[in-house]
Amino acid sequence: MNADFVLSGVRHEYRKGAEALSGIDLTIGCGEQVAVLGANGSGKSTLLKMLDGLVFPTAGTVTAFGQPLTEDSLEHADFRREFRSRVGFVFQDADVQMFCSNAFEELAFGPLQLGLPEEEVRERVEEVARNLRIERLFDRPPYALSGGEKKRVAIGSVLTMRPHVLLLDEPTNALDPRSQVWLLDLLGELKAAGHTVVIATHDLSIAEEMADRLVVLSEEHVVVADGSPAAVLAQRELLLQVNLIHEHAHRHGGVTHVHEHGHHSHAHEHGASESDD
Amino acid sequence: MCDADIAPIAGGRKAAPSLARRTAEAIGRHIGEVLDNEEVAARPGLLQRIDPRVKVLSIVLFSVTASLLRSPWLLLAMVLAALGLAAASAVHPASFARKVWGSAGLLAVLLAAPAMTQLITPGPVLVRLGPLSLTTTGVLGAVTLVLRVVASAGIALLIVWTMRWTDLLRALSSLKVPDVVVATLAMTQKQIVSLMRTVQQMHLARESRTLDVGTTAENRKWVVGRMAFVVQKSIKTADDVYDAMLSRGFTGAVRTISRERRPGGQWAWLIAAIVTCGAFVAVDRLVAR
Repeated sequence: MNADFVLSGVRHEYRKGAEALSGIDLTIGCGEQVAVLGANGSGKSTLLKMLDGLVFPTAGTVTAFGQPLTEDSLEHADFRREFRSRVGFVFQDADVQMFCSNAFEELAFGPLQLGLPEEEVRERVEEVARNLRIERLFDRPPYALSGGEKKRVAIGSVLTMRPHVLLLDEPTNALDPRSQVWLLDLLGELKAAGHTVVIATHDLSIAEEMADRLVVLSEEHVVVADGSPAAVLAQRELLLQVNLIHEHAHRHGGVTHVHEHGHHSHAHEHGASESDD
Repeated sequence: MCDADIAPIAGGRKAAPSLARRTAEAIGRHIGEVLDNEEVAARPGLLQRIDPRVKVLSIVLFSVTASLLRSPWLLLAMVLAALGLAAASAVHPASFARKVWGSAGLLAVLLAAPAMTQLITPGPVLVRLGPLSLTTTGVLGAVTLVLRVVASAGIALLIVWTMRWTDLLRALSSLKVPDVVVATLAMTQKQIVSLMRTVQQMHLARESRTLDVGTTAENRKWVVGRMAFVVQKSIKTADDVYDAMLSRGFTGAVRTISRERRPGGQWAWLIAAIVTCGAFVAVDRLVAR
């Protein structure tokens, strides 16, 4: 399997003493579905931005598609164009991705910047809008869209670039249940189509459902686990340590249980794990 | 604990709304107006049917005409024409007049008021008020200025009001306004609405945790503190938006396309506007002789 990204000994400091990533070694293979798990502030978003060539290591190296990914390499027009057309980034806050005057122009923005002819841009926009069922939003300005609609447009605005790699930062954040199901279905389709997908999340259920591989970042900004969902999620002690699950007490009838509890997930085994108070 | 009702409300004086509350309410009204604009633009009316590019050119045309006219009667006729256009475009003339007065008329009156006095504009006295007596020349000049502002601002406002923001940006783009200017305008408006919503929510969060309206000084301090926060948030958002643009291939030159290919024609309105404006200027010159 070819590697889309190779990170070696990557460190990143936003300013002196404010470390976001610390000694990261990570390889992301072509067509892999990876979920990067970590508590708030663990460096997930920084890692995704680094994979998208938006922030760069203070130390260590990043390679994308066999080429060094640096500020310098992205100044070369050919490499930049190729890299941007291959990698799409869906930001956590859909609002920051809505900088055009309406949804149609938002979807067209990326392909236009890549220099595609207008006819092809229109075809791509219409195709993506049809697939995501957002044609009716074409004329709506960003402030007239609901949270779920914004997320759809934000994802659509990346899909029109037909990227091979999709980076999604907390994709289910602030989504209603229906939109979450829609997103999971979409991620399933992308997976089936062979796209590389990297998701940053602290939502264990989403990670388990869509990823083939989980990478866990600790609050010290280092990779503390990397493996299959079953293997990683079985490490309860570790998940407690990195603040991805916490102990939680509640009652069922007359019995009080104490068990681990993760965001949107109940690692809940009635009977076996119950302890009467 | 669960059976403890709140004591019945026993009259007393209601507290006046605080500065912070009034600010939040004003912000809410402005957000409402932005959204209201979309609704007005979607109504079936005369101006709504006209091509946005033609309407943008009309704004320039009417503004130039208003600045050329010297007769207050002709300026008044332009104001009345704007009211007529409002009615024909499904905009209630009274609400249109209020909007124009609030956004331009009142300011023009305040600016022109000193010019009515003998101190600034000497001439035959119309109303005796000592050193602040009003002169005929001064009053005429002030009325002309106010009518000029109201006429040009009124027509511009009506045209913008009957056009969706996205159409306005598209019109600017197709009239060869640089893409970067259009993109900046689009982002600015979006950011303003987004930040106003943030301020409104911050106020609501504060109000849900406070018992009295507080002193004016406390409120002022809170409003200033929130302004600083909004500035910081705005800078952070600007960085994020720039990252999002870079991520999608932005290199400094914005390229955009319109959804619809607008058909030719629709220039009848522009021709009519040119003829009308030309007639206004011609009559003005005849009257001046």
